[in-house]
Amino acid sequence: MNKNYIYLTLLMLILSGGLFFLPDRDNTKYSNPEDLMWSIVQPTRFVSTDAIAKMIIENDPTLELIDVRAADEYGGFSLQNALNMPLDSIVSDNYQEYLGIDGMNTVFFSNDDIKADQAWVIAKRLGFDNVYVMKGGLNCWMSTIIKPLEPEETASSEAFELYSFRKGASIYFTGNNIESSSESKKTTLNITRKKKQSVAEGGC
Amino acid sequence: MGPLIPQGIITGDWDFVIALLLGIAFGFILEASGFSSSRNITGAFYGYNFVVLRVFFTAVLVAMIGLLYFDYMGWIAMDMLYILPTYLTPMILGSIIMGFGFVLGGFCPGTSYTAIAIGKIDAMVFTGGLFLGIFMFSETFPFFSDFYYSENMGNITISEMLGVSNEVFTFILVVVGLAAFWGTWIIEKRVRKNINPYKFD
Amino acid sequence: MNTHTESIKRPKYINPYFGGVLLGLLLLLTMYITGRGLGASGAVKSAVVTTVDKVAPSHAEESTFYSRFITDNHSPMFNWLVFESLGIFIGGLISGALFGRLKKLRIEHSPKISSKTRLWAAGIGGILFGVGSQFGRGCSSGAALSGTASFSFGGFLVMMLLFGTGYAVAYFFRKLWI
Repeated sequence: MNKNYIYLTLLMLILSGGLFFLPDRDNTKYSNPEDLMWSIVQPTRFVSTDAIAKMIIENDPTLELIDVRAADEYGGFSLQNALNMPLDSIVSDNYQEYLGIDGMNTVFFSNDDIKADQAWVIAKRLGFDNVYVMKGGLNCWMSTIIKPLEPEETASSEAFELYSFRKGASIYFTGNNIESSSESKKTTLNITRKKKQSVAEGGC
Repeated sequence: MGPLIPQGIITGDWDFVIALLLGIAFGFILEASGFSSSRNITGAFYGYNFVVLRVFFTAVLVAMIGLLYFDYMGWIAMDMLYILPTYLTPMILGSIIMGFGFVLGGFCPGTSYTAIAIGKIDAMVFTGGLFLGIFMFSETFPFFSDFYYSENMGNITISEMLGVSNEVFTFILVVVGLAAFWGTWIIEKRVRKNINPYKFD
Repeated sequence: MNTHTESIKRPKYINPYFGGVLLGLLLLLTMYITGRGLGASGAVKSAVVTTVDKVAPSHAEESTFYSRFITDNHSPMFNWLVFESLGIFIGGLISGALFGRLKKLRIEHSPKISSKTRLWAAGIGGILFGVGSQFGRGCSSGAALSGTASFSFGGFLVMMLLFGTGYAVAYFFRKLWI
């Protein structure tokens, strides 16, 4: 009986002593370059303007739109409920709070893809998941959702379906804008941040 | 790899099933080790039964060593682990109050649940007291909410606070623990000679 | 020591070191899966919040304490720790049944005190533990065990002080136990 305990004592000492011989490892939270490179060349980060329009219309609670243009451009025009986070401020801590929220899909957009893409790379490098880029940016938004082009008569029925959706969306957005423009909807940012399991905090 | 739920590898739907399963294992180990008896537990304070120290200390050491090896192997991201925040003075006061509660009640919350399961009325009263205590705290919370949040040191770790690395700290704790195991074994043998073996029910 | 009478009186408990290793591995598994440790008193807190919310909803909403835990979409009972604590109960039941400790309702106390004294002590102990666990941000499983295992300074502090206080005051309450 006692002998076994001596073995166990030695085993514990060896196991804990072995910790000293573990070489240091770099455990930074940044994603590694190869993974980052791999995901940059993937087109999966892009979300189409149609998908975004649909999510806004359906009031999808998981959608978090982030406008990465400068503040004055944002003040001029932006998407409904979008949050302004100029590109150079993403690395600052008080903006990072809005990234990587559980269950939220963050979509970056700018006038075109380029700035939003940069924001996406930064966010990805900081280790945030569920970040996306709106394909084509606001320019594409204008040409597809707000002023959609009618397809040619020979086009497929899907093209017409898409067109009618876009037409409807256009009415939804432009109509809505006229009604609420006086209240300046952009300033009322309602970010419903998920509380971090507040019941568990202080519990045990 | 891990932790699985914060990384989204296991989705939220499984949360409660996992909680239940882990809880069952926890309760089983507690009961099987003899934590469902308050006289067993408090034995550690009087030297006749050190089961609490043995189980508790062994568990801490195994988990700590395991965690460090897991971290080394890259199986678990240490920075994603929840580090209990430190509120210095409220925590000191809280643990002293709990120390009194422990000696008086003979249970701690987890062990009292298992004792209820095997039919201990004192454990039911203890849990009732627990409910009442938290209720009293909640009702009077506004009076000391400032104190409750005072001296917030954030999610500080032992190594940040004491300036020793996790490995060194674990090793010291292992040595202390092993010494305690052997020491208490001798104490227990001596005390039991002078004490009538107590009857469990 | 007479080992024969010992084996009759002593219930079958598993070897404490074996139990400790199992508990340590379970804790490790819990941290691996959930990123946080085990807990127990949080479930009672959820029960308190739920009760107050049911009995006096407006009071719960006004209170700075309760309102932190009340959300519109689900009950505070729908919580990780509540399910885990339910598991602790079931686990205790299984182990108790397996080792033959599942018996009729009873009170365990030192022969020197009455059952009534024991119940008073248990109740007061429970109240103290309840209050203390709120200030301490967790009880012996949540703060002391899981906190220390995840290298939290607060957890280590709670562990040392909880047991330290226990040893310091044990002498005055010795009649309750021996």
